[in-house]
Amino acid sequence: MTLSPDGADRYARVRAWIEAQSGGADSAVSLAALCETASLRLGMGGAAVTVETSRGWAETRYSTGDMARRLVELQVTVGEGPCLDATRTGGPVLVSDLGSLSCQRRWPLFAPLATEAGVSALFALPLRVGSIRGGTLVLHRAVAGALSGGQLADALTFTELALRFLLDGHAGAVEDGADCLPLHDPQLHQATGMIAAQLDTGIDEALSRLRAHAFATRRPLADLAADVVARRVTFDPSEEAT
Amino acid sequence: MGDDRLLATFVELADTLIDDFDVIDFMHLLVERCVELLDIDAAGLLLADQRGHLRLIASSDAQVRWLELVQLQNDEGPCLEAFAAGDHVGHPDLRTAGERWPRFTVAALESGFVAVDALPMRLRGQVIGALNLFRSGTGDLPGTALSTARALVDVATIGLLQERSIRNQEILTEQLQIALNSRVVIEQAKGFLAHRLNMDMDSAFTVLRRYARAHNLKLAELCTAVVDRTIDAHTLASSAAIRRDQLSPGREGERLRPRAT
Repeated sequence: MTLSPDGADRYARVRAWIEAQSGGADSAVSLAALCETASLRLGMGGAAVTVETSRGWAETRYSTGDMARRLVELQVTVGEGPCLDATRTGGPVLVSDLGSLSCQRRWPLFAPLATEAGVSALFALPLRVGSIRGGTLVLHRAVAGALSGGQLADALTFTELALRFLLDGHAGAVEDGADCLPLHDPQLHQATGMIAAQLDTGIDEALSRLRAHAFATRRPLADLAADVVARRVTFDPSEEAT
Repeated sequence: MGDDRLLATFVELADTLIDDFDVIDFMHLLVERCVELLDIDAAGLLLADQRGHLRLIASSDAQVRWLELVQLQNDEGPCLEAFAAGDHVGHPDLRTAGERWPRFTVAALESGFVAVDALPMRLRGQVIGALNLFRSGTGDLPGTALSTARALVDVATIGLLQERSIRNQEILTEQLQIALNSRVVIEQAKGFLAHRLNMDMDSAFTVLRRYARAHNLKLAELCTAVVDRTIDAHTLASSAAIRRDQLSPGREGERLRPRAT
């Protein structure tokens, strides 16, 4: 792993890939374009985005082909698999070789069936910001092998974009430009928690409101979050932030 | 630093590692012991995410200025250098470090820190994070303290990996991401509680941690329950044997102090 302050650059690059795929700048990121681009750029056979249903099951929202959709369904059917583990732990599950003994032991039902279907590597990345749960980005391919450090960083960037897409769809579209969310900033998350308490809403709704307010007032998200934490800005359920 | 104290700490840390333990709570315990054992003023443990950011996973202090000081080090500072070089980077007197780290130095001095050290968190030749140590007095960190700090940072690595053997890069990545996401859940719950119970972030964290310990819950699980409202904020404050006046609300701009435990 190399450390370079490239988070924003990578974000802009991945976003540009998706825009190119969907046929033009300024167009909103669509899940379809996102999945197609991720599959292509990461050298996968296919990609899917799943969402969690209210009963906790994974449901495919978009997939580049039948295989990704079938892989998700199979895991729900047999009740085990990388996507389910990713949802449970909140961390990615990266399987470079489904045929390996350790994988066959870990998922005795799922792994042999997936291998039989011609899938050798599967990467399940949860769409998560703390307690905000959006589902998973699922990537698969026929050839075994791990993601490189750079590919993994790109995959996580696709994941962040997919989560934002789902959040915006859920709470009314908020297009806040090409900036990446300052997810490494603790105050962003503290502010989100405070707003959830102030508005008595979920964390996902609170994050959307924070982003909407930052966009409306043309302020950097981190600055606004700092003001919320310092109690200089509060959100009122009956009106917008004051 | 007494040998007895050192021994007691390692026994305490080793004991924690045996059971199904809470990684984040463990990391906090570790940085608090760093402050006591090394006779320093503040400590923070940072993990690198996959996208090139050092992120704070545990700190002996949760004040805003401290957080800014740590975050600044994604651009410049001893932590970034220790991470990149895979080696100890320290400075005995930050008043003469202005050219090397212009912004970091100003922020550190404003927070009352004059000397700083950073040690890489390593695993088989790979650097996965760094331990940041701050002192209010000048001078190099004594050799014995440096050795102890190296041992503590190794224990932190073991704690992060938990019982799982690191067969490959993939499991390391999975564990790192889980720990980082847990940290985000905790920040969200701190904010939630800070508003509901009208307290600062540091006190909110103390409430969460005490409740988690008293009820044998993992911090991230408890925090998820708090923001999901499956547990009431006021239950936390009343039942963890915490009286509000026992909490020490930090004042804005106050000089950083290690939290007494």
